[in-house]
Amino acid sequence: MHVLKELLGRLHPLIVHLPIGFIIIGLILQVYDRKLKEHNKVISLIYLWAGYFAILACITGYLQYLGEGYSFDSVKLHLWSGIVTALFCFLMWAKLKDALKTTLISKTPLVVLSMLFFALISFTGHQGGNITHGEDYLVEPLPNSIKSALGYEVFEEKEIVLTDENWETAVLYTDVVQPILNNHCVSCHNPKKAKGELLLNTKEGILKSGENAPVIMANHPDKSDLFTRMELPKEDDKHMPPDGKTQPSKEAIKLIGVWIENGLSFDQTIGELGLEKSLFQSFFPKTTKTDYPGTAITAAVQDSIKKVKNIGLHLDPISESTNYLKVSALNFPGFTDTNFQTLKSIAPQIAILDLGGTQVTDAIIKDLATLPNLTILKIDNTDITGEHIDLLKSLEHLRSINLSNTNFKKENLDKLKGFTSLESVYLFNPSLEKTGTELLNEGRTIIEYGNYNLPPLKTDSIIY
Amino acid sequence: MKNNIEKLIAEKLKREIETQTRRHFIKQCATGMGGIALGSIFMGCDPLTPSKTNSNLHTGFTERDLNPLATLSPPFAPRAKNVIYLHMAGAPSQLEMFDYKPELAKLNNQECPQSLLEGKKFAFIRGTPKLLGPQATFKQEGESGNWVSDNLPHFKKVVDEVAFLKAVHTDQFNHGPAQLFMHTGSPRLGRPSIGSWVTYGLGSENQNLPGFVVLTSGGKAPSAGKSVWGSGFLPSVYQGVQCRSKGDPVLYIEDPDGISRDLKKNTIKAINEINKKEYSKYADPEILARINQYEMAYRMQIAVPEVMNINNEPDYIKEMYGVEPGKESFANNCLLARKLVEDGVRFVQLFDWGWDAHGTDASTAVDLGLKNKCREIDRPMSALLLDLKQRGLLEDTLVVWGGEFGRTPMQENREGKTMGFKGRDHHGDAFTMWMAGGGIKKGASHGQTDAIGFSGVDGRVSVHDVHATILHLLGFDHEQFTFDFQGRPFRLTDVEGEVIHEILA
Repeated sequence: MHVLKELLGRLHPLIVHLPIGFIIIGLILQVYDRKLKEHNKVISLIYLWAGYFAILACITGYLQYLGEGYSFDSVKLHLWSGIVTALFCFLMWAKLKDALKTTLISKTPLVVLSMLFFALISFTGHQGGNITHGEDYLVEPLPNSIKSALGYEVFEEKEIVLTDENWETAVLYTDVVQPILNNHCVSCHNPKKAKGELLLNTKEGILKSGENAPVIMANHPDKSDLFTRMELPKEDDKHMPPDGKTQPSKEAIKLIGVWIENGLSFDQTIGELGLEKSLFQSFFPKTTKTDYPGTAITAAVQDSIKKVKNIGLHLDPISESTNYLKVSALNFPGFTDTNFQTLKSIAPQIAILDLGGTQVTDAIIKDLATLPNLTILKIDNTDITGEHIDLLKSLEHLRSINLSNTNFKKENLDKLKGFTSLESVYLFNPSLEKTGTELLNEGRTIIEYGNYNLPPLKTDSIIY
Repeated sequence: MKNNIEKLIAEKLKREIETQTRRHFIKQCATGMGGIALGSIFMGCDPLTPSKTNSNLHTGFTERDLNPLATLSPPFAPRAKNVIYLHMAGAPSQLEMFDYKPELAKLNNQECPQSLLEGKKFAFIRGTPKLLGPQATFKQEGESGNWVSDNLPHFKKVVDEVAFLKAVHTDQFNHGPAQLFMHTGSPRLGRPSIGSWVTYGLGSENQNLPGFVVLTSGGKAPSAGKSVWGSGFLPSVYQGVQCRSKGDPVLYIEDPDGISRDLKKNTIKAINEINKKEYSKYADPEILARINQYEMAYRMQIAVPEVMNINNEPDYIKEMYGVEPGKESFANNCLLARKLVEDGVRFVQLFDWGWDAHGTDASTAVDLGLKNKCREIDRPMSALLLDLKQRGLLEDTLVVWGGEFGRTPMQENREGKTMGFKGRDHHGDAFTMWMAGGGIKKGASHGQTDAIGFSGVDGRVSVHDVHATILHLLGFDHEQFTFDFQGRPFRLTDVEGEVIHEILA
């Protein structure tokens, strides 16, 4: 019997669409029939059946409410408006059959009732949708500004911020575990939805567990559903969060396990618990350097890309997650200053440019200065003397210039002063007669002269 | 006239039918239906998902079909674009090079405690072996203060460039399987090597050179054979191309007598036309690999001898590396590795044989032969790092150094007998590797072994972790980088591996 109840409950989303369809077709027919009123018989029959199915929908809906752990608060509007809709079906049936002789309803014009009916079915349907898909389902695709203007709460993801300084004093639950649960579990396990009657937004909720109690057992992650079900493969039916929802990282899941294993502490700090730093490494701010500016950019036009490729240059986006390009003349040693023309159409997208080993001269520097997002420049193994190299100062992202094996002149070294973000300059060139590295621009820039050697040692010739 | 054309058409039809013999037909009846069902499971003939390549509508070929080495962007921003992997085949002794164990010196010649031996398998050690103290003197070097032994005097100068992994472990204790594991992620045959994965995932920029080049030195090829640079289930165009530093860099690269280059060019063109037709019929990626290899071989005839010629390098560079032109040496290979990377070769794999210091004779004694091996690599690998650095190549080139496993803190007692020379047995529980270059934290040292260097006690990392880290630096998530084969996606790291963040810059 229990199984049957549950099954019928699950049929609710299917059955509700019958009365909805019937009512809509009835209303449409009413519009067509508004002058002649010769189809009242058919329309009333439609409403009668809409009523029967609406009752069935109410019953299955109630069973679903019982079976799937919704709180009464979250379903009550839908429940009552559903019942009213069902009753209204019979009312419309009676009205069209002229069965109501002298009541208030019989005096109300049909068109008013029909409009009311339409409003009612829309409202009920919308309420139902809110329950299954979430109240913000329709609003979600809207931009945040419109959302907040409409008075909707924007889902707040809690960021986990650990640093080299504060990680030991951070409270394991408040600063790490709670944000993980908040970001990945609470959207279903909150007082409104309470899937599986489980609330994960508070300490009390976690300890109380839901219908499959207990979800958590101190010191035993392997016996805690909260942890084991997150660990299951995503394809598994029991995996949480369900496939399709954003998944916590494996480091986050591991930490949930560590938290349980260490006795479910709600107030101890990471340091007090004596946990290893490596467990939290993935939550430290990422210092990953990328070889392109931080601001996003639109993709280069396909035609321009084709043109650049056609002259023999190599070109690829730096990664699949950016539109910034890496352009290389590796297969085009004949590249000259005039070939730069072709690059103009993709100028904003170029972040890495490798013109090493080509025919370019000092004249190209002023062209290079027009590439606003240039981050890494390689003009090694060319005839560049560095005469106009100071023109590149205007490039605020330029981080590295490779000038090794060029004709770079000693007197142009001063022109490397005053660069703002330049980190490295490669100037390996025996004729400069300099060795090792030198700092420039208050230590921001490392000049690498190279010219290294490994002087012979006595041990070089000892053979054992 | 008309009759002739009809005859020709009939002839053509007949030829086509001839390719379908009765046997073919019967065979296909048996396998045809199953084949249809299996087609969706075995996706070997679909090397890349179409979304990743630009389909050429006129020919039906994608860019990657016609040139399997066409470059692809990695999924994430990369820190390195090339890799030089220095493999010391035979397994170098970490205890005479990087892992300083003063305690072990004190315990020299004492019997190894039984607790360490229980449940362990060794290749040659039997019974109760004696501990063998470090056969080298160590000092802390550079600003990082990392330990380096006197066996590597030149390397001390570049120690601040590298990040050590002191507690790498493997589950294999024989050379062949351990080398396979180290390079393909599995101790059994059939998986693609790291270089194959990388060239498959990224392609290669230089059109005239292979994307994955292998150079060997030390007189012998690695024990696991050429499978350590094989392409496994990936299309064979991604396998490593072995070049020789002595004689012709690639065998049969010269034109045969009496054959001009033009004739050869036309021949290859004709062969490839036929092969393209074959491909449009059978869609077998191996045909594409063959087309590409013909073209590559033709272009390589000019490009390879040029890049493989170290004589044109200035003398001071040759001296820094200590090259011996005309010979097969690790020094030559190191210089070649730099030249290849400079020319855009994606993955350069160096194998140096002769590190199997068992102590069976003087050449394999840790206090004799091993010192010679150390001397042979010390100058070249230090020079390689310095040379890459001064040319700005170390910014985006990852250099990896290691063996297939480490060596025991115990002296080997082959057959349970005391041996005349000091040697160490194979040991997978803890050994040292280092990485340098693109995205690596300079001067870092991760992991620690116990007092005698038997096992890792902190920061243990597995071979899979090393692979995950290499792929991470190249811009891949090792868990997402897969190839469908035999009905399931395969990864280099199988179902394991975690990126070693501690050594990342």
